[in-house]
Amino acid sequence: MITVVNPAFLSMIVDNGRFGYGHIGVAPSSGLDRFACAMARFILGNIDSAPVLEIMGNGLSLLFSEAVTFAITGARVKGTLDDVPVEPWSRTKAPKGSVLKISEVLEGCRYYIGFSGTIDVDPVMGSRSTNLECRFGGYQGRPLMKGDVLELREVYDPVGHISVPDERIPSMGEPHIIRVLPGPEADYFSPLSVKFLSNRNEALFFKASARLNRTGIRLEGPAIQFRDEAEQSIISEGILPGTIQVPPDGLPIINCVERTIGGYARLAIIIDVDLDKLAHIKPFDRVILSVTDSEEAERLLQAKKDTVAFYVKKQ
Amino acid sequence: MVRERYGESGIRIVFGDIIDEITHEAVRRFFLHLTSLNIPGIVDIVPSFRTCLVHFDSDRVRYEQLCQLIDTTEADRKNMVLPDVQRLEIPVRYGGDYGPDMDFVCSYSGLSPEEVIEIHSAGTYRVHAIGFMPGFPYLGPVDRRLYVPRQATPVLKVPQGSVGIAQLQTGIYPFESPAGWRIIGRTMMRLFDYTKPPYSVLHFGDTVRFVRV
Repeated sequence: MITVVNPAFLSMIVDNGRFGYGHIGVAPSSGLDRFACAMARFILGNIDSAPVLEIMGNGLSLLFSEAVTFAITGARVKGTLDDVPVEPWSRTKAPKGSVLKISEVLEGCRYYIGFSGTIDVDPVMGSRSTNLECRFGGYQGRPLMKGDVLELREVYDPVGHISVPDERIPSMGEPHIIRVLPGPEADYFSPLSVKFLSNRNEALFFKASARLNRTGIRLEGPAIQFRDEAEQSIISEGILPGTIQVPPDGLPIINCVERTIGGYARLAIIIDVDLDKLAHIKPFDRVILSVTDSEEAERLLQAKKDTVAFYVKKQ
Repeated sequence: MVRERYGESGIRIVFGDIIDEITHEAVRRFFLHLTSLNIPGIVDIVPSFRTCLVHFDSDRVRYEQLCQLIDTTEADRKNMVLPDVQRLEIPVRYGGDYGPDMDFVCSYSGLSPEEVIEIHSAGTYRVHAIGFMPGFPYLGPVDRRLYVPRQATPVLKVPQGSVGIAQLQTGIYPFESPAGWRIIGRTMMRLFDYTKPPYSVLHFGDTVRFVRV
């Protein structure tokens, strides 16, 4: 078992997400950086459904009361296991009684820790991800707190050493360059203010506001103008993670993983390979939006999948 | 019916431009039919007032395949016998601490609290969508006399069961939550239970009447 000595700013259990219940308003609540989650599991040779911890902030401290192997992925962090530096994006064996401490987040925002076992919490509606707003899933539906104890099931001892080389670790620093496809209401906006949607050489520059979480990321910058004759909202309907909505004030909101329906005009949709970047946007980071097309999005996605497949095969 | 791609892994199907019963039935027919086909690779189907959003996993099914399936099953959808909807009565305590925005609604509409309650509880409302949060029903249409705008800035917290109105809609917050609608009452009925299927008391297409208690 693992005892939370210090949960840092926000720590919670996540997995691939809760799907199949969108029609009753249940959002995925998945780990925001899916690549990092997947790599944590791959490094450990764990099953695809194994939950991991999603953590924000310095100061995390975990006490291992049994020997277990772990892997840290996502944001670049500086950490120690019993005062010996830990190498992220690789396997580390934690002996019984050892203490993991994360002292600093160097690049990006959310980091992930997977274990060679399954964190023993009951799945809710098919997932162990935490729905913080409605307080279900994960660890009693809430963030981890000091003193919480995570039991592990099916603990195994991975053999050998696997790590992800530096050049394969995505950049998580700012500015975050995010590529999009035009959204269903792209024509609600004045052509001048959304020129970037029809020209790859154009881009829109924003700063992330302090109002951001797993539900949404509000951007600040030049307000996007609606056409005079356009409605300023829509009849509410389905949205997906990465949908960029524009409320009447013209400042975009990126939908993350906690909403299935939206009522604002949808300017654009972030392409799959750039969705993981949402995990690493911090308040006041620069966010640059630029357009791409479905073919390129598909090509980029295939390349990313090949990277993952490369590691799976190697194991 | 208009079909368009939504990003890489979505298909948006539009059944009409306005909120009416014909559009609603077309959405419901499509939703129930596609759900019944159990297509591997379809991750979620979100029906709403006038559209359905199909979310698929491109590793398991191709966009073109799904489009073809949607386009070639029009007749099956037409012939499908739709199941009855639930007709639910929801007990509500109006006003006072239960409905902190009742005063605003009265001053905006020029109605007395009694009139607001009477009008709100006289309507039979359709579940036009479920979302925003698990089990939250978008109910309508609300009598025009009760038209109020949303809050310019959402209130940080309303209690579980809060009943709100905004524009021509009414809804119920199944969990304690931030809220953009005007809260006029509260129900003690639990609308969402994540421990027991089918989890949500209400489903797309059901009808709801509010009963004053």
